[in-house]
Amino acid sequence: MKILTCPLNGPRNISEFVWGGEVKIHPPLDCTDEEWAAYAALENNTAGVVREWWYHVPTAYWIIAERDTVKDVILRTYPARELFKDRVDYDAPAAPAAGDTPRETP
Amino acid sequence: MSLDPASLPRRAFLYRELQALGATFAPVNGMAAAISLRDGAEAEQAQARSMAIADLTPLRRGGYKGWTALDWLRGQGVAIGENNTTVDQPDGSRVARLADSEALILGDLEGGSALLDRVEGTWSLESAEGAYPVPRPETNAWCAITGQHAATMLAKMCGVDLRPKAFANGAVAQTSVARMSAIVIRRDLGRTLAYDMIADSAAAAYLWRCLIDAMGEFDGAPVGLAAVRALAAEAA
Repeated sequence: MKILTCPLNGPRNISEFVWGGEVKIHPPLDCTDEEWAAYAALENNTAGVVREWWYHVPTAYWIIAERDTVKDVILRTYPARELFKDRVDYDAPAAPAAGDTPRETP
Repeated sequence: MSLDPASLPRRAFLYRELQALGATFAPVNGMAAAISLRDGAEAEQAQARSMAIADLTPLRRGGYKGWTALDWLRGQGVAIGENNTTVDQPDGSRVARLADSEALILGDLEGGSALLDRVEGTWSLESAEGAYPVPRPETNAWCAITGQHAATMLAKMCGVDLRPKAFANGAVAQTSVARMSAIVIRRDLGRTLAYDMIADSAAAAYLWRCLIDAMGEFDGAPVGLAAVRALAAEAA
């Protein structure tokens, strides 16, 4: 059994979680269609340390996990609010999407 | 049989299973509650002390969710603990904090909750911005798993360590039980080890069968709500 530690619920069987894809930087809201399509659809599929969304199904809770895909180990998990502080204001399309841009992790 | 469970406005999710066990029903919140099964009161209480399951689905429950939900509830005089813990309220209700943004409110064993009546009467979209009700009577089934073998039996179905030494009275586990998402809360009944389990109502019959099957090796069996009430009334 592989264990993933949920920031809310503690160590749990990874079967309680669903993978949610790479954490990606939201492009500016006035980006091109190609940039938006790449953001929405393309994955880097990195061999090495990746930052991913994971969903704890029993609590409907999205978290972020840092995982080494080469060594197949989970390095760190934390609440999404550590990266995403504010909502994106989609009513202001010319403004940069600062609120949804992940800060560098410590 | 005292009451036809299909005659009430709300259809109990497990009424066919409980009917087959010879249950005596009484109305609780418009739904048939299995008060006792075919054994006598003493025998059911002894069963509940050893290993039993009881359907608590008709009892009152609800909750609130949203970024301001916990603060709003505290403003209504509700005591809330840390995440995944439960706090007993003066009216006999219990409040389980499920996350920084959600609390579950469980009523008493008689089917009431003065606390839920009060906060549901106070809540409005305008006055409680960012706190939204999570109605659970129809979406969730609720059972009690009781008795000295309860933790050992649950270890067959659930990966979380629910043994009393690792899982305090009032602790909450939001996890997977028999491959279904469930909320498990330790809530001892007087001196008797017991857990609440709350899960999707659509899976009520599946979980009921799974739990009865799993408790077979401990001579576990279903009991009525009266046995749960009797154990809860005993001194801890």
